[in-house]
Amino acid sequence: MISVHEAISRFRRDVTLSTLLKAALGCGVGAVLALHFVSLGKTIDPSLLLMGLGAVWLTLWYRTMKGSRLAAQSSTLIASGNLEQAEAQIEQSLRAFSMSRSVKSMGLLNLALVRLAQKRWPDTAMLCREVLAAKKGTSEHVNKSGRLMLADSLLEMGDLRGAHEALAGLYNHRLTLSEALSLLRVQTEYLARVGAWEQMIQGAVTKVALAEIMPMPNGARVQAMLALAAKRTGRAEWANWLRRRVELLVDVQELATQRPLLWELWEK
Amino acid sequence: MTPAPPSFLDVPTLLERSVPKPRPAWVWYGMIAFAVVVLTATGAAGQNPQLKLVVRFFGGLAMLGLVVAMAWFTSHVVKQQRKEQQRVEAIEELVQLRRWDQAAAMLDSMLAKPALTMGARLQALVYLASVLARYHRFGDAIAVQNYLLEHAEFDAGTAHGLKLMRTMAMLHEDQLVDADRALGDLRRELPESAGLALIEIYRDVKTGHPAEAIEIFHARAPALRAQLGHRIADAYALVARAHDLLDQNTEAAAAFEKATLLSPVEELCRRYPEVAAIREKYPAAVAPSEAA
Repeated sequence: MISVHEAISRFRRDVTLSTLLKAALGCGVGAVLALHFVSLGKTIDPSLLLMGLGAVWLTLWYRTMKGSRLAAQSSTLIASGNLEQAEAQIEQSLRAFSMSRSVKSMGLLNLALVRLAQKRWPDTAMLCREVLAAKKGTSEHVNKSGRLMLADSLLEMGDLRGAHEALAGLYNHRLTLSEALSLLRVQTEYLARVGAWEQMIQGAVTKVALAEIMPMPNGARVQAMLALAAKRTGRAEWANWLRRRVELLVDVQELATQRPLLWELWEK
Repeated sequence: MTPAPPSFLDVPTLLERSVPKPRPAWVWYGMIAFAVVVLTATGAAGQNPQLKLVVRFFGGLAMLGLVVAMAWFTSHVVKQQRKEQQRVEAIEELVQLRRWDQAAAMLDSMLAKPALTMGARLQALVYLASVLARYHRFGDAIAVQNYLLEHAEFDAGTAHGLKLMRTMAMLHEDQLVDADRALGDLRRELPESAGLALIEIYRDVKTGHPAEAIEIFHARAPALRAQLGHRIADAYALVARAHDLLDQNTEAAAAFEKATLLSPVEELCRRYPEVAAIREKYPAAVAPSEAA
């Protein structure tokens, strides 16, 4: 099992190395093309040199493609809940050299996702911070997912300020539906922690519609949080309706044990 | 006589037209052109030393042109494929948000042309089957699902989901023998599946075996709750109908109220015409006026 520190140091090393390699190859190609126009080109065949550089480039990109495939496969394994196998794949992809920064970021992000599922919050936060720090070459998807996971793990660690900062960076982005669902879940938890009940219940119709398409138990947890907000703001009809829905969807005992704040909904 | 225009979401046409076309191997053409340039330049320079500088100059330009053209072409192909993938993701979101008309229109336009990648085409066909089922075109949905299961390899979860959808469509189409056989296969494949339990409940309600439907519901209640999420409303609605068939009105009313607490009555009646028979008989759950 690869440690978070090792994964980060490998990520940094590979990013530096690939930047240097790309620059060297680029300069090499420029120099070889220039050889066509200068007298030195008479002694060295520039075409053969260019072919040699092309071969080196293709070999490196073949390795990168392999790494990219491993990263894609590990995403599928995480989605199916096969965390051990996913971690082994991620380790393999992080240990292999890759020319692409985005492939490496993806590997790191997938490791963060595994650590999040394992409830290892500090590790998740550290990995997400590293991914977000490397702004150049990071895709928008990686950036948004990193922020969502960072906010999620910081909330679990009780760092409300950090969670707020991570969430704030998301409001400037256009989100996909699955990202919007994750944002709603994390945002609801955050607002409940800071006691912003009125803000929580705003746009309840849309929020409930989105919670309905979330996987369980997250969908039920969001509805329970909204029920609590409705109760705290004196909307008894909403509170009762949402609470009863939650009772049909999940085990209330389990839900309230995870979020003790929610016991209030079932107090006599 | 002009041929009649193809109807909306015409399955055979969409299946035929969406097959990816083999693309010309531009990369190989580029490589060959590159080799030709190299050989011609070397040959010409060797034969006529006076022309050496001119040949080298134009050879260099040609090579530069080729490198730029290949880079442009690769980037263009990647952009096109990304665009196609984004369209598929947009369709997926529309299906999730139950914006069926918009999803259907996008699918109709996307599948009317050859797809760039087989993966995107297969994903779009999976969503097409969902949309067709929504429009109660169960025969067409079965045709798409059969095509997918016969022509593509999916991971176990996706294949199981497709088979569940096909079995449900068979029941809607009254293909009871086929549905029974499909249920047997599904039971052997994944006996713990809540989707399977829901289909069995529907089959029993549809074929007039309400007691069996209720028995399955109670035996599989934890799995139904854990796996179906909000779609457990379907199970409650069918159980309400089963109790109603047995004249157990109190139980029927309770189950109907739970079903309508999670899903609107119209939606449940649309999914299962059998539920429409009880919609006036039992009161639905009262939702806050904004949410109703």
